[in-house]
Amino acid sequence: MEISILVLVLSFVILLALNVPIAISIGVSTLLTMLFTIDFEPAMMTVAQRMAGGINSFALLAIPFFILSGILMGRGGIAHRLIEFAKVFFGMLPGGLAFVNVISCTLFGAISGSAVAATSAVGGFMVPAMTKEGYDRGFSAAVTVTASTSGLLIPPSNVLIVYSLASGGVSIAALFIAGYIPGLLLMLGLMVVCGIWAKIKGYPVGDRIPLRESIRKTIDAIPSLLLIIIVIGGIVAGYFTATEASVIAVLYSLILSVLFYREVKVKELPSILIKSVETTAIVMLLIGTSSAMSWVMSYENIPQAISSALIALSDNPYVILLTINFILLVVGIFMDMTPAVLIFTPIFLPVVTELGMSPLHFGIMIVLNLCIGLCTPPVGSVLFVGCGIAKTTIAKIFKPLLPMYAAMFVVLMLVTFVPAFSEALPRLFGLYE
Amino acid sequence: MKTVMKTIDQVLGWVLMVLMAVMVLDVTWQVITRFVLSAPSSLTEEIARFLLVWIGLLGAAYAFRVRAHLGLDLLTEALPPKAKWRTEVAVNVICFAFAAVVMVFGGSKLVALTLDLQQLSPALQVPMGYIYTVIPLSGILICLFAVDHILQGKMPEHDDDLPVA
Repeated sequence: MEISILVLVLSFVILLALNVPIAISIGVSTLLTMLFTIDFEPAMMTVAQRMAGGINSFALLAIPFFILSGILMGRGGIAHRLIEFAKVFFGMLPGGLAFVNVISCTLFGAISGSAVAATSAVGGFMVPAMTKEGYDRGFSAAVTVTASTSGLLIPPSNVLIVYSLASGGVSIAALFIAGYIPGLLLMLGLMVVCGIWAKIKGYPVGDRIPLRESIRKTIDAIPSLLLIIIVIGGIVAGYFTATEASVIAVLYSLILSVLFYREVKVKELPSILIKSVETTAIVMLLIGTSSAMSWVMSYENIPQAISSALIALSDNPYVILLTINFILLVVGIFMDMTPAVLIFTPIFLPVVTELGMSPLHFGIMIVLNLCIGLCTPPVGSVLFVGCGIAKTTIAKIFKPLLPMYAAMFVVLMLVTFVPAFSEALPRLFGLYE
Repeated sequence: MKTVMKTIDQVLGWVLMVLMAVMVLDVTWQVITRFVLSAPSSLTEEIARFLLVWIGLLGAAYAFRVRAHLGLDLLTEALPPKAKWRTEVAVNVICFAFAAVVMVFGGSKLVALTLDLQQLSPALQVPMGYIYTVIPLSGILICLFAVDHILQGKMPEHDDDLPVA
């Protein structure tokens, strides 16, 4: 058994270092590991079957639909409407534009389900606007990048659907509602950093918007915000499933962006469809090959081996949870969120449930933890897009990022050690006992 | 060769686009039958799942074509161009091998086995073997694309603004 772990880990690391697509790396290492115990022909067939079987799930259908509606919303001009909306409430504070940026990124990230999309859509407006008001470019970019990830915890969230699958069926509705408080805590933490930073640097107070204009801007943003209410309200009330809600989100955003805001033209729809297929396929191939990998891992009892090694390390739950968080932070530095959730959920979930942590709570913790990795060099998709959009460099963005990492880490610790942040809301709505 | 590849790319793109649009319509129909007609269709759920399998795996070949799959380019980016190209060739060879062994060979065996066992899907009563044909099909495309990437002497460029995370 030990040699199979070695083959699995070693081959995977070598393939990753070569820049083989992660999904294929998972497939190849899985096959190599299988060959120690299973004949060639059944091993091949098992991997092929898991690749299709892992995707063959009705719950997973929500992912392509939320991706599609996210792209439609992203191109449909909701970014600047959300920004104007946030300005009504926070523009007049000292460092107001920084707060507006945090809130717009969170809202957009939540609606579109994509931190990368939030960074490019909101950052594209906000970084130039902040630079014009005298804000440091690196700081503006750092705010955009970190705030965009908080939308990943606020539903609808594809990564939470992926976690629901990887954890063996934690309710998607419960995960969705559980993400609100940690997501908003993250947003608040970043706002505190912005407030202090703005005070030190003496950043300008924004304009107060006249009442009449405020009302108009709020009304203008309502249709975009309504999507969250319809989709999440419907899921939480048990009115429809996540998959049904996701297709409603597609229809709603289609009508909103094509007919109502008129920012997406009908002839752009094919390119939007193919973009959604591309993103869907990336996630699906990962899910397919990781489902083969988790099959071989449980066949070889790998999670149990790691679990007993961790528990042998210490019998103090705090130490074990800190160790797991530390490992995940390191993983997040090098790996994107979806593959990390798929690979590490089956490994760590048995350990934490033994410590008495609920699978629901762990799901929120792992996603929040990996949010930090999305903002760190050398491998941070959101960070790179943010630097590109803001026309700045990693070196310049790094210093303002440091206090924000600290804020994210504090929120991570709160969420790790206070189960109520994740569990109270689902319990209140009767989605979790 | 070039025009053949271009045709394959275009046909693949169109097929995927149509499958995605059909999947949206299919699940929309499911919602309508459940809420408006209050007579939920039993077929739409299975159709949607099979469409997802086809989109996922055929789309995987498409994503490989446009170099969209997530990878770790940290080390290879630091290499000089010549060495970097050698790693690109190695990556394509590995992807070719995986697609050929698991998807084409293992996938065909799986199709043959499920057809032999006459395994039918519960609602539509379609042989599961037909659904699984997407595995070898996507495998053949990935092999073809890998060879084409190597023959072209360069990898396709990919834009970074992928809304994945």
